[in-house]
Amino acid sequence: MSFVSTLHSGKFIITAEISPPKGIGTSRMDRDADLLKGIADAVNVTDNQRAVMRMSPLAACDLIQKKGIETIMHMTCRDRNRLALQSDLLGANALGIRNVLVMSGDHPVKGDHAGAKPVYDVDSVQLLGILRKLNEGFDLAGNELDGRTDFCVGAVTNTELNEVGVIKFKKKIQMGATFFQTQAVFDVNSFSGFMEKVNGIRSENVKIIAGIIPLKSLRSAQFLNKVAGIKVPEDIVREMKDSKNPEAQGMEIAARIIKEIRPMCDGIHIMPVGNHGNTKTILKMAELI
Amino acid sequence: MIISRLKELDEILQLLSEKNLFIIGCGKCAKKQHTGGEPEVIDLKEKLKATGKNITGWTVLNSACSINSWEDVLNQNPAIKKSDALLIMSCGGGVSVISRYARMNVYPALDTESLGGVCCNEIVTQLCEMCGDCTISQYGGICPVTQCSKSLLNGPCGGAVEEKCEVDERVCAWDKIFERLKELGKLEYLEMIHEPKNHTKKFRGKKV
Repeated sequence: MSFVSTLHSGKFIITAEISPPKGIGTSRMDRDADLLKGIADAVNVTDNQRAVMRMSPLAACDLIQKKGIETIMHMTCRDRNRLALQSDLLGANALGIRNVLVMSGDHPVKGDHAGAKPVYDVDSVQLLGILRKLNEGFDLAGNELDGRTDFCVGAVTNTELNEVGVIKFKKKIQMGATFFQTQAVFDVNSFSGFMEKVNGIRSENVKIIAGIIPLKSLRSAQFLNKVAGIKVPEDIVREMKDSKNPEAQGMEIAARIIKEIRPMCDGIHIMPVGNHGNTKTILKMAELI
Repeated sequence: MIISRLKELDEILQLLSEKNLFIIGCGKCAKKQHTGGEPEVIDLKEKLKATGKNITGWTVLNSACSINSWEDVLNQNPAIKKSDALLIMSCGGGVSVISRYARMNVYPALDTESLGGVCCNEIVTQLCEMCGDCTISQYGGICPVTQCSKSLLNGPCGGAVEEKCEVDERVCAWDKIFERLKELGKLEYLEMIHEPKNHTKKFRGKKV
């Protein structure tokens, strides 16, 4: 079943994130993709995440899809102006990439090419508008296209939304986002508050897929606490600190969070630190597969 | 006001190989910010002298970007004719105007950062990007093109940590916009969906 059909089938969605290689060697990416085959409903492919230059997600999605795995192509507004975004989207659709996840993108100063010119010609709300137009058979300038795209379009959100964040969330729905993938969830109570907030805004057709990062060490927990939109509660940090096997502890925590949030949202999105070696086990522990 | 900062001495020395230099300061923005007024010109003169450069003379023009004529400047500063190059302590506007009319080697001593303002001795930086398409009233007088690191027009990116922008220590522009619009009773402005900017309004003075 295609991801878009799964999304609206009522099944609890499982997606997982893969990074394209820093270079042209695809063996690690291939290994991760193989580990997710038959488990994930679709595999997200990141776009120079954390502003670190890597292989283009368009090429990486194509390589992964050739293995029979459906992808969700990430597209940030950081590196391409409106011409480049649209031409990549047309190319992606022609190659059979059907899902796009839109986001602003970390600023270049956060990455490994800090002196790069930040583009941000359009923002994520405007990029959603572009995708809507392409799906209607027109480009942003209103020119008619030879064939329309058929993208299923998603956006991202933090789970701690202030008032202006809620307004942006609304705008993303208004401009055609049909699913949201969230920043990593560790605090179930706070996630429940987030769901309450967005349930008052979204229709049932807009799906919420919660981000899950399995912790690997105390250090990863401490590091994530400094990342925008992520809060690892003190008791989880303590669990990691007290554990003799932090990796196994992290898997247990991830499975526990998944079980707890399952009744609240429409799916989960696994973003491991490193590779997907533990993903299948975590999903089994969470009784999702 | 144009916001500028003094280049490091090493960088200035790398830029210019000429020995006989005339320094020109600016009596407007650079003077107010203490980057190109008389004290700064004299200070740079002494530092350059210490590196072996010959300073033929110096002046602080009323405004480096707005001169009556180059002949006037030459008449009042005959030492310029004995110089190999001019070193300008003004914004890029001043350096460009002098380069255009002086027809000799001209070097910038400052880096131009942004368009800002000053009130009650408080210098405020990064207020306007000169995009040629001002919609600032829709954002409560806080320009997201300039003050948001990503120039986002439809709301915050979500990258701020404890309300600080992911790029620097500034408060997220969108938090400021929200607070100001709330104060003004215009929160409905936040709901507007802003289309991508039309950049033809800015580029190269093209009339649209």
